[in-house]
Amino acid sequence: MIAANIMTTQVLTVSASGTMYDAFKLVHERSVRQIPVLDENKKVAGVITPRSLMKAILPNYISEGLVEDVRFAPELPGFVQNIDQLAFKRVSDLLEKDFAAVSPETSVMEVAALMVNAKKHVESVLVVDDRHTLLGIISPWDVFKRLWDYSEKNRK
Amino acid sequence: MQQTFYLAIGIFVAVYALLIWDKLNRAVVALLGASALILLGVLNQEAAVHGIDFNTIGLLIGMMVIVFICQDTGMFQYVAIKGAKMSKGDPWKILIALSVVTAGLSALLDNVTTVLLTVPITLLITQELEVNPYPYFLSQILMSNIGGTATLIGDPPNIMIGSATGLTFMDFVFNVGPVIPIIFIATLIPLRFIYGSSFKVSEDKKKRIMEFRESEALTDIPLLKKCLVVLALVIGGFMMQRQLHLEPATIALFGASVLLLISKKDLHHVMEKVEWTSIFFFIGLFIVVHSLVEVGFIRYLADLMLEATGGDMAVTGYAILWGSAIASSIVDNIPFVATMIPLIKNMAPAFGGDAAVLPLWWALSLGACLGGNGTIIGASANVVVSGIAHRNGHEMKFFKYMLIAYPLMLLSIAISTVYMYLRFLG
Repeated sequence: MIAANIMTTQVLTVSASGTMYDAFKLVHERSVRQIPVLDENKKVAGVITPRSLMKAILPNYISEGLVEDVRFAPELPGFVQNIDQLAFKRVSDLLEKDFAAVSPETSVMEVAALMVNAKKHVESVLVVDDRHTLLGIISPWDVFKRLWDYSEKNRK
Repeated sequence: MQQTFYLAIGIFVAVYALLIWDKLNRAVVALLGASALILLGVLNQEAAVHGIDFNTIGLLIGMMVIVFICQDTGMFQYVAIKGAKMSKGDPWKILIALSVVTAGLSALLDNVTTVLLTVPITLLITQELEVNPYPYFLSQILMSNIGGTATLIGDPPNIMIGSATGLTFMDFVFNVGPVIPIIFIATLIPLRFIYGSSFKVSEDKKKRIMEFRESEALTDIPLLKKCLVVLALVIGGFMMQRQLHLEPATIALFGASVLLLISKKDLHHVMEKVEWTSIFFFIGLFIVVHSLVEVGFIRYLADLMLEATGGDMAVTGYAILWGSAIASSIVDNIPFVATMIPLIKNMAPAFGGDAAVLPLWWALSLGACLGGNGTIIGASANVVVSGIAHRNGHEMKFFKYMLIAYPLMLLSIAISTVYMYLRFLG
């Protein structure tokens, strides 16, 4: 079984030239977890993840782990303001360029291994062709859903 | 003999130049220099290993392990927040409190660890107060180096000096320690005039500081108790060094092993946190400097220096104090002190033995530790703080820093000169 068999082909994306407001609308209305960002040529430029956005609104010394645990501190006055300002920022300034992507021919076993072993926190894996055109997306549950369906069909 | 003499000097100069150039990892540079000396036959491996001061290495590793485990308890953050809260939210008093905490901690921990633990708290506090953190950064850099000067374990130059001479923890406390509070206050006074009036904060914001809950910083009380017991044992051990007839490395490594045993921390995780690059830097450097001793170059330098100072104790003392300060403000003080140690040892007979040159060790310690304050690259703690500041949107520019810090460094050396005169050289 390969990635093309289990990927979701209808992917909601935002444009790199848009603002974060567009991304928030998608989060609100369609409850997506990870949003692929396309550049002007419709190629994948990166992804927007909740983790990278949280990093953007936290002060650097917290997000880089100099103080990991801030339970002893009252909330910083700037924290909520940072969230407000985020909506007006450009998607291109906040996208994460280091994301997990595979080709459609990648085996599902490799996709599973990637999700388990990736050093960075992998939400979903993008499926792209060799020109970085987005073909689909595989969420962790997709791996199971499609495999369950498949083995159920085979039993019948 | 002639050939090895020049080879040793050549490699030493190359290592020093590469360290100043600062583009390659310093541990790689030192180890390359050390292995080149063995490969080219200046030293054999046995002589090279003989040159390594394992007491310094052991003490550094032992303290790194102890401090890393203690860090997990949140005790250092607790102390910093407690200090800030005692100032009732007044920005200037907070600066004093954080300076006291930084100086105090860096007398017991290494300076880089101290600023890595306290500067994030400074950022949290200054963001709550919405004041410019720059004066706090500046003061904490200065105080980490000033506080570190006071004890044997506070700063690597002292560790190396103590190790090479057998001078104890209490020797440093009694001989270098007394001038440190004076320098601390003398540094704060100008800072008050430069920055004091820029701190205007509403009562509202002051209240936010009082909302910090320092007790919640203590995340692991059972571990905290174990850490405090081991810390007390180790520091007590250092204080009783002479009576116990133990070298500091033994005390630190014993404390580290006890803490590893009773804290049940994952050994691999703790060992990963030991700064092996620093350790191997020291190892390589000891070998490189040892080769200079072996080929007789240090002996030659010592004679030159004796000639220049006319064998006068006071002149030599002041020359070492000021020379180390100026040198350490530009280059890393570790290679400098590593070279100065055998130099002073070689001069000792001319002054009438080891006891007679004691003031020179104090001069070297004061000059090398305090000199690091002069520039933003003068000491590791400076570089670390300016890095954190930069990543959080506050630039610490070379000349802007130097404009205030260099005169303050010179002031601290001037005070040390008076102290040296009154206490040892007058």
